[in-house]
Amino acid sequence: MPTLIIDNQTVTVPEGTNVLEAAKRLGIEIPHFCHHEALGSVGACRLCAVEFREGPVKGIQMSCMVPAKDGMVVDTGSAEVLAYRAQVIEWLMTNHPHDCPVCDEGGECQLQDMTVAGGHGIRRYTGPKRTYQNQNLGPFIAHEMNRCIQCYRCVRTYQDYCGGTDFGVLGSRQRLYFGRFSDGPLESPFAGNLIDVCPTGVLTDKTYRFKSRIWDLQEAPSICPHCSLGCAVTPGARYRQLQRRRARTNNRTNGHFICDRGRFGYGYANHPDRPRYPLLGHRRVTWQEALAALQNKLQELGELFGPGSIGLLTSSRATLETQFLTKRWAAALGSDQLCFEAHPGRDLGARVAASQRLDRTASLEDVRNCDLAVLIGADPLSEAPMLALALRQAARRGARIVVVDPRPVELPLAYERHAVSVEKLGQLLRGLSRPQQSEFPSSMEELGGSLASALLAAKSPLLIGGTDLLGPQGTEAMQQAAEACSQPETPCRTMFLLAGPNSFGGALLSAEGPCFSSLLEGMEQGRIKALLCFEADPLADYPDRKRSRAALARLDMLAVFDCAATATLQEADLFFPTTAVEESTGTLINNEGRMQAFEQVFSAGTPLAESAGGSHPPRFFSRDIPGSEPQSAWGILGALMGRSADLLTLRSEIEKNDHRFAGLSQLEARGEGRRIAAPRQYSLSHQPNISGIMGSDQLQLLVTETLYGSELLSNLSSCLHESTPSAFVMLHPQDAARFKLEEGKKVLLGTPVGDLTLTLRIAGDMVPGMAIVPRLRGTVLEPLVPGTEPLPCRIEKA
Amino acid sequence: MLLSEKQITQLKRRVRETPHPREMILDVLHAIQDANGWVSDEGVELAAIILGLSPLQVEEVATFYDKIYRRPVGRKVIHICDSICCWSRGSEALMQRLQQLLGIAAGETTIDGMFTLLPTCCLGACADAPALRIGKTLYGKVAIEQLEAILDGERTEVSS
Amino acid sequence: MRTCEPLLFKNRRIGETVFLEGYRRTGGYQGLEKALRDMTPASVREEVKASGLRGRGGAGFSTGLKWSFFPSDDPGEKYLVCNGDEMEPGTFKDRQLLLADPHHLLEGVLIACYALGIGTAYIFLRDAYRQCAANLEHAMDEAREAGLLGDNILGSGFSCEVHVHRSAGRYICGEETALLNSLEGLRPNPRSKPPFPAVKGLFGKPTALNNIETLANVPHIITGGAAWYKSLALTEKGSGTKLYGLAGHLETPCCVELPLGMPLGELIRDFGGGVWQQRSFKACLPGGASTPYLTAEHLDVALDYETLEQVGTRLGTGGVVVFDDRTCMVAATLNLLRFFARESCGWCTPCRDGLPLVCWLLERIELGQGTREDMTMLQEQLRYINGRSFCALALGAMGPVDGLLRHFAEEVEDHIRLGRCPLQA
Repeated sequence: MPTLIIDNQTVTVPEGTNVLEAAKRLGIEIPHFCHHEALGSVGACRLCAVEFREGPVKGIQMSCMVPAKDGMVVDTGSAEVLAYRAQVIEWLMTNHPHDCPVCDEGGECQLQDMTVAGGHGIRRYTGPKRTYQNQNLGPFIAHEMNRCIQCYRCVRTYQDYCGGTDFGVLGSRQRLYFGRFSDGPLESPFAGNLIDVCPTGVLTDKTYRFKSRIWDLQEAPSICPHCSLGCAVTPGARYRQLQRRRARTNNRTNGHFICDRGRFGYGYANHPDRPRYPLLGHRRVTWQEALAALQNKLQELGELFGPGSIGLLTSSRATLETQFLTKRWAAALGSDQLCFEAHPGRDLGARVAASQRLDRTASLEDVRNCDLAVLIGADPLSEAPMLALALRQAARRGARIVVVDPRPVELPLAYERHAVSVEKLGQLLRGLSRPQQSEFPSSMEELGGSLASALLAAKSPLLIGGTDLLGPQGTEAMQQAAEACSQPETPCRTMFLLAGPNSFGGALLSAEGPCFSSLLEGMEQGRIKALLCFEADPLADYPDRKRSRAALARLDMLAVFDCAATATLQEADLFFPTTAVEESTGTLINNEGRMQAFEQVFSAGTPLAESAGGSHPPRFFSRDIPGSEPQSAWGILGALMGRSADLLTLRSEIEKNDHRFAGLSQLEARGEGRRIAAPRQYSLSHQPNISGIMGSDQLQLLVTETLYGSELLSNLSSCLHESTPSAFVMLHPQDAARFKLEEGKKVLLGTPVGDLTLTLRIAGDMVPGMAIVPRLRGTVLEPLVPGTEPLPCRIEKA
Repeated sequence: MLLSEKQITQLKRRVRETPHPREMILDVLHAIQDANGWVSDEGVELAAIILGLSPLQVEEVATFYDKIYRRPVGRKVIHICDSICCWSRGSEALMQRLQQLLGIAAGETTIDGMFTLLPTCCLGACADAPALRIGKTLYGKVAIEQLEAILDGERTEVSS
Repeated sequence: MRTCEPLLFKNRRIGETVFLEGYRRTGGYQGLEKALRDMTPASVREEVKASGLRGRGGAGFSTGLKWSFFPSDDPGEKYLVCNGDEMEPGTFKDRQLLLADPHHLLEGVLIACYALGIGTAYIFLRDAYRQCAANLEHAMDEAREAGLLGDNILGSGFSCEVHVHRSAGRYICGEETALLNSLEGLRPNPRSKPPFPAVKGLFGKPTALNNIETLANVPHIITGGAAWYKSLALTEKGSGTKLYGLAGHLETPCCVELPLGMPLGELIRDFGGGVWQQRSFKACLPGGASTPYLTAEHLDVALDYETLEQVGTRLGTGGVVVFDDRTCMVAATLNLLRFFARESCGWCTPCRDGLPLVCWLLERIELGQGTREDMTMLQEQLRYINGRSFCALALGAMGPVDGLLRHFAEEVEDHIRLGRCPLQA
């Protein structure tokens, strides 16, 4: 731990810390471009020079390249240093256009800041400037190469950090070009990070272009709602329009980056079809009318059929506050027909996952630091994209990554691959619980056993499971395996991928409550007369849509509270518009049990671009803001229960009521979040067994998540549509040959939801005997939901 | 055909056998350039396939080197040294005369597709300054008056 | 006229290449035989260290000292990389050696590999040296045939493989870490040091890097002994012979092997045939394009590492480039800087963007458009580029600017004052 003096202040830092970082600890920001906390130091821009007065290094040196040592005395602002830095800026500005007033980066441009700070105001160089042709990099990123200052951050982010191979640096000397081999969309699902790391206006958010200057944006710390990882984001809004999202730093979770689904999935909040008014039947009503209608109906049903006739459903999209108040309200109504997830498999999977010992639970930070990760039934890029990026960082440090999955799993890193069918995962997990065993009854168990031995020997081993494929039973088996592969000094941690941003919260609150199937049963039997859906879409999420549709049709009242035009909303008798994540405050608990608060970015309202019909300024005036009726679901619940709508009071109540949420009221949106205090108690013993061994010539249908098109909210973001695939089915080459089918041709897939015409993809990297389809909303595949046992199917030429 | 099947097979075998396939980037690019005079976009794509890299990864390296031609060149490239020793002994005048004789500017190719004129850094022939290289032949102590004959000779060599 | 018995050029006949038979006839491979038969790797390293041999590639670092940092005795993969990316203007000695006598280098490489416990060597040759590459390939075939290369060399149990790598241009590849990246098929940007190549070099393994001429000296140190080799130099601190290049405004430009420490004037007079066209000597680059100029007052200076440092320049590669009295030093410097700016790899700002700015300033001054402010800016460039770049390229590039401002400030100012180049009619 060297101790050094920087600008007359003493600081002690860990061995290996460079002087630039050491200064940062003292709150001294040394100007720099190429250094980046996540990317490290490369000494290219030469801006971070400081003067070393005493110690092992003397004179002017780049602070990012010099490790802090005992006895160093550093001056970050000597006259010579300042003059030199001004010179560096002058060099960089020789070719930089003077287009700040119209530049997309203006206002958040590091070059602009450094130029002003560096005191370089007058250009002495009057020669011609180098110019470039730009490339079309696809729907997400605009390219303006003339503004480049060659800090190499983009290529280090894209290639080194994210593992992309289609964007890089071309040419040499003063004629470098950062781009692709030829025009075309960037292939990496993490490409959007180029926007954040580029210190000038070369790589900017195309979806945000020409919408706002950044100082006009409303921004606040928020959480990405598009998967269960809970990455930190900063959304920006203006004129009632959510205009962009960028990554926020949380070293425990996403680090500095986010995936493109998270970055560009924001459009759901502005969707033109978003329901913004309370509806009674299909008639727009006032909040008062709608609430009165609801209360009256509930009272009537309660009196006629008892409180058990009212069912309540929330989802993994609902905040902890909403889930908690739903539970409270159910209690107040006297109903025990409460459920936190419409998909029973996912519900139970999350309940098991949330019962994992906390010291066995891995964060994304743990993933980045692991030396062995075994993924079973987890497809990171589809189910939790940032996990893929975290795994890559582990792999870059030499970690071994093993993927066991029936599906083709793509990762931006080198990994070991075992294609294993769904029904054999059980055997593998059995073997995985026996690290010490040498004889195994099957090769699958033997593979599990060998992986177990490796986990036992690893320094920071990790088991990663997708609950959709593992199911509740498999999830529990994986926890047992982790136990078996743990040593006191080297616990084997687990990470489970869940369905949504707050699956964990629902799992904690659900206790031993019923699954949605039992609520459906109640509806079918006529016991349950009303269903209240808080940000839940049972019609789309319950795996058997025929059954759920029939059951919902029997209800006296279906009330829906949501921010999106869901399938269930179409059937609703009563509708209450709720706010999008960015329009409200709340708490989400991610898949590792980390409670994370988010703040309100802007107030709900129809975007001016839409309400003013594109004309500006608006030509009409009113007291009310168009489309501003959505309210937070927990706020509506509070109103229904006649409580105050104060968030702090609510959070204090939650933590007092349930010790697992300790610290909730102190949670700061800007912080790193806080792990829950204890896992849930849960035993699976009463749940059905996973079986599903089928005849060998019977093709099985597996439905899985996919990067774009599966998740409800991001699928409503128009800027992602170009990247969303059209409906397809994947077969192993053997099966394609067996059924005489060709890649790219139309095929007919016979499924329980009917015969579907799909395009065939052939993938060698999957198990034979299986047809794999993605869940793709808005296509013929929409009724097929992941997280169920493989279904029988047949396939033929269309 | 940028390379013969046999060449491709051989290169692929070498790539497979070396523990560091990337090491062979220049070898593959040289092979393509030797066979075609330059490396086209398709050449970069072929190199990528042989090496198991993305075209961009090959392009990053290919565009760094000035002796890998990523634009079409004539049948013979004239590399005229513009570094200090040759400069001190009249390379600028030589360059001007060459441009006159060929009717092209530096970086261009003659209309008949015969010559491409490229200034180059020191050829390691400083004792024979001014020097230039045409194709594989190095010419030293070149006097302006000799240029026409040199060019004629190079033209005949191709046609014979 | 001072001469010496040539070592490296002993078989050199202009226009001819000597291969194995001729090389052996004059004592070739006796050094390798002696090393393998009579010496331990450590004693070879000791001998080279005692010889005082300094790197001939430009930096002039002690070869023995460099080798002493190398983990010679560690088991595991290690590499020797011979730097034959001779691209510094005014430097053509390695080419002469390979054109004349390729086995010379091969023997040096093999002895070095033996001394350092290395089994694989790469010879990195610039693209322009195709004949040299062909010569080397032929020499290697002969050596393999004769049991001098490959497995169990001369029955000693020592095995060594040598690969010739053909580059594709770019001066930066001569920077040792950029060269490693180039060899690996990566973009040849220099790497940061530490780690030094001796610790983590080619493919992440310990790697020794030496210039062609440096390695070609090694067989002679082994056969003749360190003391004899050291005594060959004219100066007390010098050691051995040097391949001096003589180019520019001379009657008889050439490459010649002479004792280290030749006085500049004598070298020009006796071997370069004096300044051409009966003109007088104005200045010279003493050791390639990156070394600050010497002027007429330096004609007595001995061309060795120490002496030249004392007069503010470097021996560099030993390529002397002479300028006559009609040369505009601004124009000469501009030519040199255009070379360096063009050869920058583009990694760091001072080199990538600073050198073109220097070119722009020199251009303005040469064209008579320069102002006092431009002179100030030029001085600032010297101050801020020197020592602030990522590798030594920009530092070397500023050598001529340093020389220009030190020795020819008046000439620069004349350009500004007159509004034209005073040396142009």
